Amino acid sequence: MHLYRRCTIAVCAFLCFGTLFAGQPLYTIPVEYHTLGNGLKVVLAADHTSPTVVVAAYYNIGFRIEPKGKTGFAHLFEHLMFQGSENLGKMEFIRLIQKNGGILNGSTRFDFTNYFEVVPSHKLETILWAEADRMKGLAITQENLVNQQGVVKNEVKVNVLNQPYGGFPWLDLPQYANTNWNNAHNFYGDLADLDSANLNDVKSFFNTYYAPNNAALVLYGDIDTKDALAMVTKYFGTMQPSTLPPKPDIAEPRQEQEKRVTKKDTLAFRPAIAFGYHVPERNTPEYYAMGLLDQILLQGDDSKLSQMLVKKKGFTSGVGGGINLLGNMFNYNGPMLWMGSLIYDNTVPADTIIAAWDDVINGIRQKQVDQKTLDRALVKLRSDLYDNFSGLFGFGTADLLASFALFDNDPGRINTLEENFKNVTPELLQKTAQEYLRPTNRTILVIEPKTGK
Amino acid sequence: MLFFGLTIAAAQKQTPPEGGTPKDFTLPKKQVITLRNGIEAVLVPYGNLPKVTISVVVRSGNMNEKENQVWLADVTGDMMKEGTATRSAEQMAEEASSMGGSVNINVGDDQTTIGGDVLSEFGPAMVRLLADVARNPLFPESELERIKNNFLRRLTVTKSSPQQLTFEQFRKALYGDHPYGRIFPTDNILKSYTIGDVKKFYADNFGAPRTTIYVAGKFDAKEMEKAIRSSFDGWKKGSKPLINVPKAHAHKSFHLVERPGAPQSTIYLGLPVMNPANKNYVQMIVTNTLLGGYFSSRVTANIREQKGYTYSPSSQISSRYHDAYYVQTADVTTDVTGPALKEIFYEINRLQQEAPPIDELRGVQNYLAGTFVLQNSSRQGIINQLAFSRLQGIGDNYLTNYVKNVLAVTPAEVQHIAQSQLRDDEMTLVITGDRAKVEKQIEEYTKDTPMEKK
Repeated sequence: MHLYRRCTIAVCAFLCFGTLFAGQPLYTIPVEYHTLGNGLKVVLAADHTSPTVVVAAYYNIGFRIEPKGKTGFAHLFEHLMFQGSENLGKMEFIRLIQKNGGILNGSTRFDFTNYFEVVPSHKLETILWAEADRMKGLAITQENLVNQQGVVKNEVKVNVLNQPYGGFPWLDLPQYANTNWNNAHNFYGDLADLDSANLNDVKSFFNTYYAPNNAALVLYGDIDTKDALAMVTKYFGTMQPSTLPPKPDIAEPRQEQEKRVTKKDTLAFRPAIAFGYHVPERNTPEYYAMGLLDQILLQGDDSKLSQMLVKKKGFTSGVGGGINLLGNMFNYNGPMLWMGSLIYDNTVPADTIIAAWDDVINGIRQKQVDQKTLDRALVKLRSDLYDNFSGLFGFGTADLLASFALFDNDPGRINTLEENFKNVTPELLQKTAQEYLRPTNRTILVIEPKTGK
Repeated sequence: MLFFGLTIAAAQKQTPPEGGTPKDFTLPKKQVITLRNGIEAVLVPYGNLPKVTISVVVRSGNMNEKENQVWLADVTGDMMKEGTATRSAEQMAEEASSMGGSVNINVGDDQTTIGGDVLSEFGPAMVRLLADVARNPLFPESELERIKNNFLRRLTVTKSSPQQLTFEQFRKALYGDHPYGRIFPTDNILKSYTIGDVKKFYADNFGAPRTTIYVAGKFDAKEMEKAIRSSFDGWKKGSKPLINVPKAHAHKSFHLVERPGAPQSTIYLGLPVMNPANKNYVQMIVTNTLLGGYFSSRVTANIREQKGYTYSPSSQISSRYHDAYYVQTADVTTDVTGPALKEIFYEINRLQQEAPPIDELRGVQNYLAGTFVLQNSSRQGIINQLAFSRLQGIGDNYLTNYVKNVLAVTPAEVQHIAQSQLRDDEMTLVITGDRAKVEKQIEEYTKDTPMEKK
């Protein structure tokens, strides 16, 4: 639903303890992890800084593997989770949270759909009851389905169809860069597909994927973990697990040829360009190296691409991007792209931009970065990770805990990320750049604007 | 009705458990330091996370621009990042990154913030860097063309956004020739700015008398105070802030921005209302929230959740120094532009005709009380709250009494605010959309209404 959200670019986040910071106390999150009898993964972490608690329910289903022929369905379904359950009618869940002094939202991403609230800590039980109510079952009418189809179509219009650079590059580029349908379809939804969704689809989707053994529940904030676990067990413990279908094949073959696509955008008046590279498999040494490459190349005013494209060449006022534009480098579980993009001027050919981009990329592929650059990248990562933790009143921490529970069965990973990044050497960085930043691994998308302005 | 899932539907609905009793909430304590040159620094320790946010807030912005100087404040702000007397732009960038942050310069209507958010151990070093940026900008002429070109591009890109085009006309209608009404420059005006203009704008509008420093997060208070004093004490130059409160007068007006083939109409409907210095301002906030300011609001429940006309309805009280307006915005399916407008007016009138039920009001009040805690539970949030009350001259009391004042608002007061402030026959309406499809739909609301001059 992401109530009033535009797509935002998330920065790659990370914790570092290089020799620069010897003696600085380690910032750790006290993680408690339980799995209920029905398979529900429960993560509890106490932080009493503010009298609030984040409650986050993550289901291990996103738009990547939504039903073929029903593009946008997982996201539409997310909206429907707010439309009524056994004991809460339409809008009643939302009203319950807000009138108890809380905020809420949900979002559909590649590999999960999440529903989260930030509420005053003394209202924890109220919110757990409500979240359990909708995990147990939905109760929605045809009228509500039609209503949310209208809402979602308007969401697609306001964010994409009526907006210059509407889906650029977060929605467009994966469709060109990937070949497996699961990774390459329009996950916001073709309007016709959204219209074709019916109540049977909704029922089937819920019964298949919205079960405790396909979910993680995270409580982070001003809680007593013992009381919290008792409450969670009370409200969620009696639900029955379901049989999950076999996972579809989501692999992307190794890209062997550079792809270049030009897309016309009649709402834009300036050209834009995006580069997308397939990133290494999650949690491998090369994956951590990729996170550091992102910092060195793209994050911050000091990044190499900023210095070249903004400062030196004056092509643009900013280069944006990162690993996973719909989240960060930790909260997805399948093939992913590292993307960088910029808006430039009609007077500059795309090839000129590409040449300058290549200058920088070739530099990092041919010559090892010095330790100073690597150290600075580690500092930026650490700072970004802290920002991630505190983002949206602590939701950022809950998000990482949920992702690590769902994908790795190990939410405690949140405190151990640093070691892997610290282990990245200049040699590994260069080796990773040589393989993953090679031209045949990339897709270039050029936006051709409306001419005559 | 379709029930499905893992339990059998019960005949009687359960009610949610009540939850516990609220904990006391007090605003984070602050320490105020006054420098010899009169600059005040407000330091707020907050949280365990080892980060600190530093904001050097200068009481200058677009409101200091003369008529042919639209965006000169922004150009000046960007030029301040192009180096100081002792640091090149690249050095500045690397230095800030090495602390885990960046130098950010944000230009607004009334205030410009020079700030950064770094790892705690670098707090004092960041203060010194920010002081250098604020006090000793180099303004290298060699970078001006590139910066101006960035703004030319930004102007073109911004003016391709339907929301920005609507906003531009709305502000123009409310504020006319006042700086708040001048949203976009022309290409030629942008091109005309010289390095002399930038230097003069800086000299006229930056200095100790206009500056307040905020620090929030985890930091060593002694070291921060030392760094602040040693970096900012010597900054004497500068004039007092310019006061220029607009004479915004509410008047019924209408403007259509043409967007042929648009699948949605972007709607802005609103008028000037009481500003934050008014003792009843909290009543205005509560009324706005109930009407359209949060998801459970009347307008949202109507045009989004009931009718599906839109994804993005929202109303807000937008404020500047001793000035504010109410505006309801929404991007609605083109074919229902008229019906959406009808429902918005219906909700405004309904609130004028009948005081809201106490339960509905309590929900709004609890929501505002709860989100007030959240607004004071982040470094940036704390700074925003303090800077707001300081700008408006309403002091600490506004924040310490906010929740109490919210909870004290009565249904009758809400109705009275709707009647006295949200006078729909004095509202400005701006729509960006497909004229051919929209004109007839909204005839009822635009006939006898003067079209705004372009």
